[in-house]
Amino acid sequence: METRPLGTTGHDSTVMTFGTIALNWLEQEGANQMVEHVLDYGVNHFDVAPMYGDAELKLGPKLRQHREEIFLGCKTEKRSYEGAWQRLDESLDRLGVEKIDLYQVHGLEYDDELDEITADDGALTAFREAQEQGIIDHIGLTSHSRPDLIVDAIDRIDDLESLMFPLNPVVAGKDDGEHDYEAVLQRANEEDIGTLGIKAFAAGSWPDTEELPERDRPFCNWYRPVCAPDEISERFDFAASQGLTSVVSAGDPKLVTMICEAAADYDGMDEAAQRSLIEGSRHDDSPVPEQLHH
Amino acid sequence: MDVPSTVTTALDDRPVDGRRCLEAGAGVGNTTAGLLDAGASRVYAVTNDREHALTTRERIAGGQDADTDSHPAARDRLAVLHADLRAIPLPEESVDLVTAHGLCNVLDPAALSRIADELQRVAAPGAHLVVDDYAPLPETAAVRDLFAVENAAAELATGRPALTFYPSSFLRDLFAGAGWAFERERTLLEPVPWTESHLSAHADAAASFAADCADDAGAALAARAERLATDIGSESVGRMYSLAFRLAA
Repeated sequence: METRPLGTTGHDSTVMTFGTIALNWLEQEGANQMVEHVLDYGVNHFDVAPMYGDAELKLGPKLRQHREEIFLGCKTEKRSYEGAWQRLDESLDRLGVEKIDLYQVHGLEYDDELDEITADDGALTAFREAQEQGIIDHIGLTSHSRPDLIVDAIDRIDDLESLMFPLNPVVAGKDDGEHDYEAVLQRANEEDIGTLGIKAFAAGSWPDTEELPERDRPFCNWYRPVCAPDEISERFDFAASQGLTSVVSAGDPKLVTMICEAAADYDGMDEAAQRSLIEGSRHDDSPVPEQLHH
Repeated sequence: MDVPSTVTTALDDRPVDGRRCLEAGAGVGNTTAGLLDAGASRVYAVTNDREHALTTRERIAGGQDADTDSHPAARDRLAVLHADLRAIPLPEESVDLVTAHGLCNVLDPAALSRIADELQRVAAPGAHLVVDDYAPLPETAAVRDLFAVENAAAELATGRPALTFYPSSFLRDLFAGAGWAFERERTLLEPVPWTESHLSAHADAAASFAADCADDAGAALAARAERLATDIGSESVGRMYSLAFRLAA
């Protein structure tokens, strides 16, 4: 599988990152098989978080067995110094490892959270102490909130080495600032910050819970995913051809093999085909009525 | 403004900023939006469809943009003209850039020929021309069946086809014959995503022609179009291309 340098970390990540939230939905034996399966494809970057149910615990056994083959990203949703240290200790404990390669601020949403994590008693102070102690190697940040907030974070966090944010044809087809993750990607690439794409396989929101109760959803993703092999492959190719370091697999274990296959087969996507996906999604929810043309 | 990537790609190597532009066949104003966004000093959006004229005007007037140092607000740079492209209400040599985005496929050869001459008439020396359209679909494309029904209804109702997908070489030669020097061809979309909303718009267009058919063939064609649109759902097939030309200065 193709690898690309993850910013300045010195690590070459595979073009697919395994989103280990998928393990949360499996029993331990199945989780073990899933990790072996993903490693068989050569995937070398795994992503986990304490908020993903039992994913840390279920990843633990195979992570310890294959520790050298896996570049491990973990996250904390805590914004304070104490909170971040506490979560980090808990994650190390649950994963059963000594060190996390990439520790990320999880799901930054608001301006005041950026103030909080960058304050003297904020989460990043804990990150840096842990870095000095050799408990974590690199610092990252994840967000599916406002692109301009992520750009602010780039400006304000000098030692940021990776970013995780959404990128797919639906987002790329929207011109407004609220969806301008391409600006984030461009800025990150200028600053040599690694980039991990999420929601690459999102087709849209789930219907209202009145119409489709959560328990009746056919996938455990936050969003309604594309699910046919050719669609998965197109979506992977699109995300991987935008200039991201790596594309994070979808959260439902039913989709993981298709994504591994797409990643293994990836060899670029020409621009006319990229635009084809953008225009296809743009028309799905366009406010402009009755369009015969593209 | 929400500008399709087909439009931005077709325009990105053409001079738009500060130029007087003509969008020939405004449709819902996609290219008008792209031209205004790229800094056109004036956009004449010409369409013979009243609904399209209104949609284009409302779309731009409803935009959030305001005057800037370099450009007045988009709505103040736009003139929507409800007119026939075979007789454009503009003087000779009055525009610097002409766009025909998805226009030629709705023109039969006779109309296309007259409009090609008319576009040349209003273009200033050194003007640019961008022609974006669809290559003929492969035999295996399911959407061909829907377009065939649309064309059958249009022929019965008006004596003309609704859609003709001209090869890029055909349009290149046609406009070259009208005095334009060919500059480049690029692929905008491949495959072309015919989405559910496109197919349902084409089924509606077929039904609208069918309503004007003289006998009961119309009802059958309308039903057939609707069934085809439903059965096909969506299909990604074919190629959309962009041709660029220039007049001698």
